Amino acid sequence: MANVMEVYQLLPKTNCKECGYPTCMAFAVALLGKEKIIEDCPPLIENPKYEKKLEKLRELLAPLMSADATETGMIIHTDKCYGCGNCVVACPVNVANDPKGTALGFGPKSGRAILMVEDGVIKCVNVEECRRFGPEKILCSACIVTCPSRAIEFV
Amino acid sequence: MAKVEVTIVTYRDIFQEEAKEIGRYSDEYRDLSALILLDRGDMKLIKTEDGQTVQVETDGGMVVVTARLSEEDEEHPGLAFMPNSPWSNQLVSEDTGTSKIPEFKRIKAEVSATDKDVDTISELVERIRADY
Amino acid sequence: MAVCTGCSLLCDDIELEFEDGKISLTKNLCRKGEGRYRSLREDRLVPAVDGAKVGFDEAISRAAELLGDAENPLLFGWSNSSLEAQRIGIDLAKKLGATIDDTSSFCQGYLMEKVLRGEYPTCTLDEVRNFADVLIYWGSDPSSSQPRHMSRFSYFPRGEKRQRGYDEDRTAIAIDVRKSPTVVIAADGFFRIPPGGDAEFIEALLAALGGKIPKVKDKKMKKKILKLGSTLRKAEFGVVFPGLGLIYSLKDEIDKLTPLITRLNEVSSYKLIPMVGHYNMRGFNQTLLEETGHINRVSFKDGVEHGTQFAVTEAVNDCDALMVIGSDLISALPAAISKKLARIPTVAIDPHRNLTTDMARVTIPSAISGLEAGGSALRMDGVKVEFEPVIKSGYRSDVEILSRIMEAV
Ligand code: SF4
Repeated sequence: MANVMEVYQLLPKTNCKECGYPTCMAFAVALLGKEKIIEDCPPLIENPKYEKKLEKLRELLAPLMSADATETGMIIHTDKCYGCGNCVVACPVNVANDPKGTALGFGPKSGRAILMVEDGVIKCVNVEECRRFGPEKILCSACIVTCPSRAIEFV
Repeated sequence: MAKVEVTIVTYRDIFQEEAKEIGRYSDEYRDLSALILLDRGDMKLIKTEDGQTVQVETDGGMVVVTARLSEEDEEHPGLAFMPNSPWSNQLVSEDTGTSKIPEFKRIKAEVSATDKDVDTISELVERIRADY
Repeated sequence: MAVCTGCSLLCDDIELEFEDGKISLTKNLCRKGEGRYRSLREDRLVPAVDGAKVGFDEAISRAAELLGDAENPLLFGWSNSSLEAQRIGIDLAKKLGATIDDTSSFCQGYLMEKVLRGEYPTCTLDEVRNFADVLIYWGSDPSSSQPRHMSRFSYFPRGEKRQRGYDEDRTAIAIDVRKSPTVVIAADGFFRIPPGGDAEFIEALLAALGGKIPKVKDKKMKKKILKLGSTLRKAEFGVVFPGLGLIYSLKDEIDKLTPLITRLNEVSSYKLIPMVGHYNMRGFNQTLLEETGHINRVSFKDGVEHGTQFAVTEAVNDCDALMVIGSDLISALPAAISKKLARIPTVAIDPHRNLTTDMARVTIPSAISGLEAGGSALRMDGVKVEFEPVIKSGYRSDVEILSRIMEAV
């Protein structure tokens, strides 16, 4: 996945502050944290000399910006997913929110599960409940280590 | 032509199982079935790279499939893997010993590079149909 | 809620949404089950005789003719049919004086027999979920073959005595010749053995359980096995899940496993559940056992006879008509044996076109169980699961097809 340095290299590196951040580096961090979008950097969009950089940056951040990437930075590679539901059952939020369903190995029963399997692959909803979300986030990896095909990653 | 001797173990793959449900005759099923996973060293011996075709031969038969670099993290010279399918079954001996179960998971074979195309399912069917 | 017949877990929590009478969304189906649902629209078989399309009735009467005229018919398949269809199938075999065999014959048969005869202790998957703390996946790869096994029952779910989650409550060990997708997630140890190395591993484990040094060359492995011995001794409720890897390695020498199962039950309590693939293989084995005292490979030519000569791989040599139901036998067997099969006049009953139906004289399309036809089946652990059809279709069930053939012969 993209790291801060890679993103920074593709920014104008002028620290012009038009984005509202003091440095391009800070903006790079904001991009990866999904607090800002590429369009928040006016020079990059407007100045044709950055055209190549812009193109590369879009490519680099495409997985992050795609619909698959939720606000926690979770990326689900549905093409690799087995639909086994291991993550659904192992997710501590699911266990707490859905004690009669996913906690016991079934599909969700409470409507409050955040991971579920639809059409044979995993889907993430109510992402604000994920333990990686919000100010007190913790680096939970229950869904990653239980996946037989490494179909889930966090950026 | 350089050859390498291997023992082939067949296995099941969920994507291949999914493709099988959809149809034995689908291209998808062939792409996920007509494969042999080889050890890196064995690949070198027969001067083959990931994605090229190889000919696999046993006393029981012969088949042309795509060679893939095995993703095992330990080296395993002499050991190869194939998804269980009509392709791997071309190679299994009809000798079923006392158990009457064919040797699906320990197939002694020789692998060599080839410029032939991967066998299609129709070709396998023709071979099965042909008089012997 | 629907039941999936994609594998022998028979998941019964499948939710469906419909649009214009078609399934528009599935919930809780794994990729393999999803494949089965999608197959509703793919490559369906048509009734045909010698390659020419005919009506259903015509196909039935030609099938009955072909089987009725034969001296030595062989009826094969069954693991993808309901219990009700299997019963009729056995009656049909009796009526025809036929040989009957199922996929267990070159699959889980030798082990399943031990379990069904009560020689190996077994339990239900619900008990596994509630109580099991040590899990041994031996030559099995549920992630690929029974994808929801670990999430619904064996490893990840909470249960009565397993409330704290898999990482604290359960120990999972994988024994395999390759790093399968199951090996990747079984957190507590991967024992890589060479192909055919299972008997030796059993010996080593027996030594370790007896506090002796296992006879293994590799020093690291020796240590690992010794440690495994003590892990296994500490289990409260252990379960072994043997797959085809173990069974193909031992075959008719499955008895080599017996001392280990015995020993494990001396040091603690251990059960065994064979990792069946097809959704109702166990059902057929159980039903035939009740009827004849044998789980497969039976001939009704002269009363009830059983033996390896009635295994499909042998029976093919002297049968003069073949009926295959719910199995792509030609794809599944070595080509050299399939060549022989291809020359036998065959009736093939299946929802889909496949290699076997393509070589058959008579083809009869059938409904997909659980989707287009109801019935019941035995899950891999022997629990009976009933299912209803979830959509309307013109395809007839195996029960109807077999009853019609039965009437016609
Ligand atoms: S695990 Fe088996 S029964 Fe369950 S949804 Fe998947 S294929 Fe169907």
